[in-house]
Amino acid sequence: MTILEANGYYFPPGFDAGHLRFSEKTFERNGAVLRLKVPEVGRGLVEDLAGYLKKNRDDYLKKLPLARIIDVLDRASRLWMTPDFGPRKLSLDTISVVTGFSRETVAESIVIEMESSLAADMWKALRSEIGDPLFLDGFQYSRELNGLRRAYGPALIVSFFSENIPALPHLLFMRAALIKSACLGKMASGEPTFAPLYLKTIEEIDPEMARAMAVLYWPGGCESVEKAAFDNADALILFGGIKACNALLERVPRRIPVLVHGHKMGFGAVGKQRMTKAGLKDLAKAVAYDVAMFDQQACLAPHCYYIEEGGEVSPLEFAEVLAQELAVLNEKIPRGAVTIGEAAAINQLRGKYEMRELKGEPVAVFTSPAGTDWTVVYEKDPFLFTPSPLNRFIRIIGVADLFQILPTLTPLGPFLQNAAVAIGDDREAGFIDQLGQLGLTRITAPGNMATPSMMWRHDGIAPLSALLRWCDVEKKGAM
Amino acid sequence: MTVLPGNIEVIIGKRCYFMTDLHSKTSDIDQQLVDFIQNGVDHPNEDAFNRLALEIFALQFDHIPLYRRYCLKRGAGPGKIHAWQDIPAVPTAVFKVADLCLFPDDTERVFLTSGTSSPAERGRVGYDAGGLRLMAATIETAAAAFLFPDGLRTQILVIAPDPELAPHMVMAYGMRHLMRCFGAPGSRFLITEKGFDVDALSRSLAECTADGSPITLCGGSFGFVNFFDFCAAKGCRFALPPGSRCLDAGGFKGKSREVGRGDFIAMCRHYLGIPENRCVNLLGMTEIASQFYDNTLRNSHSGNGGPVFKCNPPWTRTQVLDPDTLAPLPIGETGLLKHLDLANRGHLLAVQTDDAGRMVEGGFEIFGRSEAGEARGCSLTIDEMTQVSEASG
Repeated sequence: MTILEANGYYFPPGFDAGHLRFSEKTFERNGAVLRLKVPEVGRGLVEDLAGYLKKNRDDYLKKLPLARIIDVLDRASRLWMTPDFGPRKLSLDTISVVTGFSRETVAESIVIEMESSLAADMWKALRSEIGDPLFLDGFQYSRELNGLRRAYGPALIVSFFSENIPALPHLLFMRAALIKSACLGKMASGEPTFAPLYLKTIEEIDPEMARAMAVLYWPGGCESVEKAAFDNADALILFGGIKACNALLERVPRRIPVLVHGHKMGFGAVGKQRMTKAGLKDLAKAVAYDVAMFDQQACLAPHCYYIEEGGEVSPLEFAEVLAQELAVLNEKIPRGAVTIGEAAAINQLRGKYEMRELKGEPVAVFTSPAGTDWTVVYEKDPFLFTPSPLNRFIRIIGVADLFQILPTLTPLGPFLQNAAVAIGDDREAGFIDQLGQLGLTRITAPGNMATPSMMWRHDGIAPLSALLRWCDVEKKGAM
Repeated sequence: MTVLPGNIEVIIGKRCYFMTDLHSKTSDIDQQLVDFIQNGVDHPNEDAFNRLALEIFALQFDHIPLYRRYCLKRGAGPGKIHAWQDIPAVPTAVFKVADLCLFPDDTERVFLTSGTSSPAERGRVGYDAGGLRLMAATIETAAAAFLFPDGLRTQILVIAPDPELAPHMVMAYGMRHLMRCFGAPGSRFLITEKGFDVDALSRSLAECTADGSPITLCGGSFGFVNFFDFCAAKGCRFALPPGSRCLDAGGFKGKSREVGRGDFIAMCRHYLGIPENRCVNLLGMTEIASQFYDNTLRNSHSGNGGPVFKCNPPWTRTQVLDPDTLAPLPIGETGLLKHLDLANRGHLLAVQTDDAGRMVEGGFEIFGRSEAGEARGCSLTIDEMTQVSEASG
């Protein structure tokens, strides 16, 4: 049996936590045991930590040139992209023990996250959101203003992470650092190991910068701790389910700007022009990747793919080839462990569709040969959007005309995030326009659903500029 | 069972002869089943059980075409399998999309599953007259053993609607039969057109307490909790006479706050004065004709202590399966519950549930949703989306 040890927290260098009590949480899976050391988090600890982070942010991070910050973050990303990097190797084990994701999925997630977190991406993201990134370093001349302008990030951002994407929390620390804000992260119980390892990497590159970063875990709903976090925060970022986010929002003081990333859903839509024999295998591979990545647990994942009839390949034929590609992908990046409830949901749905197929309805079910690893269901109904039970369960819905699906999606607008669209004729622009109006915040191509760039305005929010305060010097020629 | 009018026999000749044959065969099996059930809960006759299970399986295989196709895909059929464990089970969800009755034309009563807010998404299970007679027999034998082992006759008060009011609710139907077989005068249902009549229940409990007659309080678990919340708000509690007992079923389903079993029992003691050994939880499902009772009251009557679990009456079997592969798991391991119920003669013997549980020596345990592991990942239920839409709109 492999014994792993990790910290379920990160205190910045020089922080005196006083006499904290630590406990050990153990996680066990597939012959590996993780012993996670976690401190008992109380109001006092959060207050002390918040004060420490803000002070160090003022003393160092706030004054640090953006180029230096980006260099540190870029070096951290590159280290995490290196297969032999020790913390990365450890995280493959810890994250897979805690979450049940396969090591291959965790590795792929880390690659996806870090490859999109390099210096060039950061500069582009800043330019895309605020024009001249150097507004963050000092007053710069703005021609439009005909004056000077500067941007300030909040002193301390408190971020509540979710657990569904391994290696995602680094993004919150990166975004905070880019606007020179300190960041206190609150990890989800489902994945408390990645963020401490990532922050340790920052510490090794620039310990002074790491002094403005910390991460903790406490059980959600712990009101005294959360009150201390809110009272000390200058901005708040929430990831999580609707209920959890709403419960937190009720207690957030009004003075704090809040960015909420609640649970969202995605889908795909492929037009008949794209349903060609020549392109079938590549399209199936692309869709399989969308379905398999993060075991479909990301908001980015598709719950169904609408496929237009009338092309060279029918939606049913596509479903069959997609099943083959999911089987291939499952060899390379195996699906992770599922809970009893998740497996039960998949079994029940498979049974329901199988019975409909046996009844002679236009339905087909393709399943992994054993277990619940993957499922492709074909059905024919443009008026259907049913959330998937996830874990690589995808509905292929045959429709006569892709535009037929719009009325069904309209009421779901606020819950939709990401759509893969491939129509390939002059209807595409009109279709995308309608999806945008409906509420979607990212349109991409099949195969790219899981890999947004740093330039994406996450859930429709410009994540860097949304938290900035600007100061304009508008002298209009006087003095 | 409906008797076919003679003239139909003349008109459709051969087919009618076939139907008559099937009906008489079924009627013969039903009689054996009733005998088996009435033999009580102490005689688990494995051989007779297996023989009856395979006989009913053959009947269902031959005469429910959809199930036959389902079995053929799994390589199962009469003669090919020899043990009840190999009879293919269908997931409970299939009752939402398919009619799987042996005698769809003879359906006397249809029960619907509760569950989701969408009526189209409710499972439907039809019973013919023989099937209803089997269900009645299971209620009589199981309740006598597990709820009234002392043979006491009490008023039975039921926190559920009368079947006239809720014709498709299997619990209401079952409770009425329980009341008819075991209830003293004054037994009644407490959910009316206007909702749960908590005042009437309070009055009845006060009266019984005053005249010292024990009472049996039955109903949905959430109904009990709602009554306890009412008692807490009113500041009232009862010390029901010795011999009183309660039977709750069905979990909470979002109709009251969620309460753990330990807290539930503490509330029964606090508000009703009913001790732990007289609190019986029952697992009943629309898809299963029989009921699975806790062993608490039966154990306490026979003077045995021991752990609490659900008992399989001899005409049923439960297995725990690996949730991913659906292979049977050894005793003590947590998985998904699969039940086989001979009283399901009319609508498929073996049912695969989405309940988590484990086998224990002598019975099984069922766990709550949270123990089964919440769904992870970014998804939303239709209910969540509706709630938020309403809240923001």
